[in-house]
Amino acid sequence: MRQFGKIFNFELKYYLKNKVFVGVTLFLVIAIAGVMFFPRIMGAFENGEEETTENVATELSVMLVKAESPEQSEMVRETFGAAFTDYEVQSTDKEVEEIKDQILSGDVECAFVMTGATSYTYYVNNLSIYDSNTAIADELLQNIYQLNAMVSSGITVEQASEIMTVQIESTTESLGVDQMQNYWYTYIMIFALYMVILLYGQMVATNVATEKSSRAMEVLITSAKPVSMMFGKVLASCMAGLIQLVAIFGSALLFYNLNKSYWGDNMIVDSIFNMPLSLFGYMLIFFTLGFLIYAFLYGAIGSTASKLEDINTSVMPITMLFIVGFFIVMFSFAAGTVDTVLMKVCSYIPFTSPMAMFTRIAMSTVPWYEILISIVILIGSVIGVGVISAKIYRVGVLLYGTTPKIGSIIKAVWKA
Amino acid sequence: MILELKNIEKSFGEKQVLTGISFQAEGGKAFGLLGRNGAGKTTSIRILMDVFPANSGEVLIDGAPIDYTKVQMGYLPEERGLYPKKVIIDQLTYFAELKGMSRKEAVRSVDYWLGRLGMTEYRNKRLDTLSKGNQQKIQLITALAHDPDIVILDEPFSGLDPVNAMLLKDVVKEQISKGKIVLFSSHQMSYIEEFCDSIAILNSGKVALSGDLREIKRNYVRDRLVVRAENPEPIIADFGKNCTVTENGDLMIQLASAEEKKATMKRLVENYDIDEVKVFEPSLNDIFVEYAGDAVKED
Repeated sequence: MRQFGKIFNFELKYYLKNKVFVGVTLFLVIAIAGVMFFPRIMGAFENGEEETTENVATELSVMLVKAESPEQSEMVRETFGAAFTDYEVQSTDKEVEEIKDQILSGDVECAFVMTGATSYTYYVNNLSIYDSNTAIADELLQNIYQLNAMVSSGITVEQASEIMTVQIESTTESLGVDQMQNYWYTYIMIFALYMVILLYGQMVATNVATEKSSRAMEVLITSAKPVSMMFGKVLASCMAGLIQLVAIFGSALLFYNLNKSYWGDNMIVDSIFNMPLSLFGYMLIFFTLGFLIYAFLYGAIGSTASKLEDINTSVMPITMLFIVGFFIVMFSFAAGTVDTVLMKVCSYIPFTSPMAMFTRIAMSTVPWYEILISIVILIGSVIGVGVISAKIYRVGVLLYGTTPKIGSIIKAVWKA
Repeated sequence: MILELKNIEKSFGEKQVLTGISFQAEGGKAFGLLGRNGAGKTTSIRILMDVFPANSGEVLIDGAPIDYTKVQMGYLPEERGLYPKKVIIDQLTYFAELKGMSRKEAVRSVDYWLGRLGMTEYRNKRLDTLSKGNQQKIQLITALAHDPDIVILDEPFSGLDPVNAMLLKDVVKEQISKGKIVLFSSHQMSYIEEFCDSIAILNSGKVALSGDLREIKRNYVRDRLVVRAENPEPIIADFGKNCTVTENGDLMIQLASAEEKKATMKRLVENYDIDEVKVFEPSLNDIFVEYAGDAVKED
């Protein structure tokens, strides 16, 4: 235990004194400060901004409408003018060829040429993939047609408009969780877990392999027990990861509160910073356990590599396992179907449960005993993987030369 | 204090690495553990240091099984290396603390050793800024700073210039005079001969020879004669296959047994013009080559 403490301190100091670690953390904090102060900084420029928007307003692009009769043209122009606020809508009686030339020359952005009450041709120079003008036009023309039909069957214009614009009042009451509400921080959490595990896992593996290749291991292995070394190293890296996350998320929270009034009612930002405390607790639990189980594996793999160059290929299987888990969770999450059989299975497998179970807790309603079972399995696996990793470590650090095959490692660990 | 390894057996997978290794080392004396590369020296040392357990056999201190929490060991591995990117004082105190010292004791002891080895000026430098010889001295401190009862030095002199070698010799003598068990492993026989009272030669995982070095030399079968003569040809012709010419031009005559010694000497002196004739006494180098060679001598 004493040795574990010494190793933990020594390794933690390594991270906290590491220029890259400090640099990356500082950079992220500054970047977050930049984002969080953005509305306030923009607010300072607001007056200047307004003037320019006014200037822009005079330069709206032109949309032409042409119908079979001037009256119809005028009616369509009025309706379109109210709906297409980004355009200056003008009616025209020019020939189609002339309109085309105007569009090609750039004087006119686009044109609707009606060939009947319910048919038209839409002319535009380059059709953007975001162009939704025809969809809007379809709806508008449909409305006009329906209105006209009602008026001609004896209903007054006022009554007809009332029918057409009737408002439905509704309220939604979610009895479980609100996926919209939880979407963003779940997204951030899964990504943070993904980044941190890959980054720190690699760091633990490199750290072990460096000790081995620099032969500091020769002295270390005779000075401390492998279990102390493995746990000291991995827990120190976990602590460093948590410190980094607290620094980043803590500063984000601080900067948000400093600028709260400038953010107004931004739903995304608001939902992120109003995460329920229980969910934050689950996040910490799954984060720590998920981190540990992978960090142990990375450490064990690091110990079997003789050269630093071997690390990248040696850690591939673990990285793949992790990425597969990540994608399963990400796809289910994005689809909003987090309670599929696959996700349920994944939320008990220790290598995927940190992401899968957390996502389910955040995006669905999970019975408490399922959460408990998942956490218990995970804790048990962390300890088990930790002890096995320490054994692999003890065997691995003394093997030099070619990277051993998985089979021979298992054999050696079994016999040790 | 007497350290004893008794019937140590060790195998890695199918491969038997150590077979019945036994030897004894005494406090206040240096012990030489010899053997060719792959003979099992490092494995023996690792078992002794509890890096991994033996399949069978015992490590005893004064006749009782060793208690690793009480007996401190210092180890200078053959494969040198510490943390190249870390400050020297930091890593040295770290290692001393791992061996059970308090932080304060560790710093004090490391500072003493830095001074003793003339390395104080590098105290706050990174290890990789030092020359190879100086890095060696830093590594030596990891073996000595925690004041161990057993000091294990694997090839301690390799890579040291004569001045530093002299400094190390003084340090080793000091450790021996403090009553510690100093265990040497080296291929440089001159150093072993200078320091070690007893030795064990390992060959293919077995002890090929062990005991007091002087006794080993004394008990060496005295069945060879070294002859120097102006005109060696008649002697070579006379002794035929039993006579070989050594590197420095002397003749080596192999006798059928040690009892023939006197008669053969007499015959040589009477029949030939001889400058010198003496019984061959092997150097440690000769003993090593003989016992650590491919074939293991059967007891």
